[in-house]
Amino acid sequence: MATKINPSFTDELKKYGAVNMNACYNCGTCTAVCSLSTTDESFPREMVRFSALGLEEDLKTSLKPWECYYCGECTASCPQQANPGELMMSLRRWLTAKYDWTGLSGLLYKSLPFMILAMILVFAAVLYFASSISYDLEQMLHAGHNFEMIAIGTIFLIIFIPNLLRMWYFTIVKTKTKVGIKYYFTTLSELFVNMFTQKRLRDCDEADNFRWVEHLVLVLSYLSLLFTTVFLNWFTTENIFVVVFGYLISFIIFVVTAHFVSDRLKKNKSLNKFSQPSDWFFVIWLFLMGVTAFMVRLFIDLDMLVSNKWLYITHLTVLAQWALIIVPFGKWTHFLYRSFGIYFSKLKTLSS
Amino acid sequence: MSSENKTIKFDALIVGAGIAGGEAALNLANSGYKVLLVEKERSIGGKMILLSKVFPTLDCSACITTPKVSEIARHKNITIFTESEVTDISKTADNDFIAHITKKPRYVHVEDCTACQLCEKACPVSVRDQYQYGLIGRKAAFIPFSIANPKAAAIDIENCTLCGACEKVCPTSCIDFTMETEYFELHAKTVIMASGFSLFDPLEIPRYGYERYKNVITSMQMEREIAPTRPYNTILRPGDGKVPDKIAYVLCVGSRDQTVGNPICSQICCMYSIKQAQLLMGALPMADVTIYYINIRSFGKGFEEFYQQAKGMGVNFVKGKVGKISELENGNLILRYEDISEGVVKEAEHDMVVLSVGAKSNPSVANIFQEGRLKFDPYNFIAQSDLMGSPSKTSIEGVFVAGTATGPMDIPDSILSAGSASSDAISYLIQHETV
Repeated sequence: MATKINPSFTDELKKYGAVNMNACYNCGTCTAVCSLSTTDESFPREMVRFSALGLEEDLKTSLKPWECYYCGECTASCPQQANPGELMMSLRRWLTAKYDWTGLSGLLYKSLPFMILAMILVFAAVLYFASSISYDLEQMLHAGHNFEMIAIGTIFLIIFIPNLLRMWYFTIVKTKTKVGIKYYFTTLSELFVNMFTQKRLRDCDEADNFRWVEHLVLVLSYLSLLFTTVFLNWFTTENIFVVVFGYLISFIIFVVTAHFVSDRLKKNKSLNKFSQPSDWFFVIWLFLMGVTAFMVRLFIDLDMLVSNKWLYITHLTVLAQWALIIVPFGKWTHFLYRSFGIYFSKLKTLSS
Repeated sequence: MSSENKTIKFDALIVGAGIAGGEAALNLANSGYKVLLVEKERSIGGKMILLSKVFPTLDCSACITTPKVSEIARHKNITIFTESEVTDISKTADNDFIAHITKKPRYVHVEDCTACQLCEKACPVSVRDQYQYGLIGRKAAFIPFSIANPKAAAIDIENCTLCGACEKVCPTSCIDFTMETEYFELHAKTVIMASGFSLFDPLEIPRYGYERYKNVITSMQMEREIAPTRPYNTILRPGDGKVPDKIAYVLCVGSRDQTVGNPICSQICCMYSIKQAQLLMGALPMADVTIYYINIRSFGKGFEEFYQQAKGMGVNFVKGKVGKISELENGNLILRYEDISEGVVKEAEHDMVVLSVGAKSNPSVANIFQEGRLKFDPYNFIAQSDLMGSPSKTSIEGVFVAGTATGPMDIPDSILSAGSASSDAISYLIQHETV
């Protein structure tokens, strides 16, 4: 089959953060130093090559970007400083945009003004809503709680499930992978283990156990906070255990994310050197979620929230921006796509 | 220690007595000019005198170098200072350069030494032999190497215990521990920089395990193993003395690599590796030799044929730069690389690995000219002010450059460049004769 190359594709990828990838002279050092690269699944050079040639179909059907955990070794040893690690990161952003049927992901990734506009719109909507119920705290708390539940359900139904199906279609169906139905079930453990633990990161040569533990703690705290606020009603509960637990996890969230932000500011690892707006929004909003949730509960316990309604409105704004923009269309999705990527890739090896 | 300068006068100063400096010196001397040839090593002949054979003709390197070196050493118009360094040069007028030269003591009167090696036998100190690139040891009282010129003993004072054993056995009493560093002030009318290059130090790339893994050696060490004046008299891997039968070459070690600050091609490594591979196939007919490369650059006259010849002899060529090397218990090495033709990461076991190290500039001449008037290129090679018109001219009129001091090049190019530098220097001398 004739393959059509598209050199201008690199301009498109640059909008997603790719840097200097056309410097690649195809020596394969990146693939050879990568400890996750195997004979069955060799990367990242193949991805660099596909990107330089603009082979969009090959990229779209590839799961390799999700198999990379960005330890940065390829970037550190690249003789041409073509930065393969950052290319893999950009490809993950690009794939997220491709999987998203609404097309909003792509717009938000590529255009910072659009992203800011979306954030402002959500903020305006929250303000409008709050004023429409004349800033009644009881109602706001109730609405916030309902919003969280509805948002989670809706996003899953109309964004994530179709997008994951698209991902499945691109990477499994289009590549004509024949996988027995039973394997979908027998491999499920792979999906969940990777979703919650990022097990593969530990195979990185760098053996950055701290990075792994830190990320794991953040994921678990975030999921716990979600559970605590949605199902245990943290803001209104009287249960002392739930209250203390909520304090602990929201505290962990803002401490860990503050550390992430400071690392990105310091640019001390290849992972942190080329932060895109989407990376900043993700860590900063997660930080704000932790801080505002913590403060809201603290003000409730000190009986100060009634006189400081602005705090709850701030929290609600952060929550709405997070749930309506960052979760469905932003970096949050790597939580799903990465683990599904590894799951699908496992299925592919079983089929061959 | 006396620091009084002895004033000397020559027509030309040549810095570096490798093949380029030597060739330039001969050209000038044969034209009747008095030349001072300054060399920092204990022997002249540079790197070429230590090589095995040369590409693409497979001529014996020593057989070309030694007659030339003898001619240089015996020429009435050439004075050689070995173990000497030019510390600074300044231009006072168009035909007057003042250079300061430090000549370290050899502690041996060269003219009396018969190279009988009795001092070597008597000396109790053993250190690594730098002229065999650390493959074997030598004594502190030693003859640098068998075809060195001057072929005379020298005392390595840094490692010497001053026990006096060599002095007692020396039949001509030529060993003299009272020798001191001499300082010279030289007046010369022109200068040729033939300061050569330095080899990349593979310790800068820890993932190749050089010095950590005993059977990972550099291409210069392999060059010594296959040279006529070789240390082991056969090809052995240094770890355990086994004759290797699966040898790997890793190309582009320290060249075309921005992570070590040397993004340029060294121009010689592909070809010397192919040459060594051919010689190894001859020396060890049962051995497998594999060359891991990014691109084979066989651009010179007869080079492509030479490359095809190696393929025909059965040398394996694998496109893919080696990413990392690990060692097995038996001393064998695992090379991890991406086979670019298949796009698949692979591992291969070899019992000996040769790192084809690149050529870098010689850092010792960086500050030799006062006021920094000599310009260098971004990789610290001496810049050519008129690359296309007169490639041996530098940013200072009257200072010429020859050989690899301008950038990596092979032996024929070095000699050509020395010819160009010497003819430019002669023109300069004639033009400024009456000034």
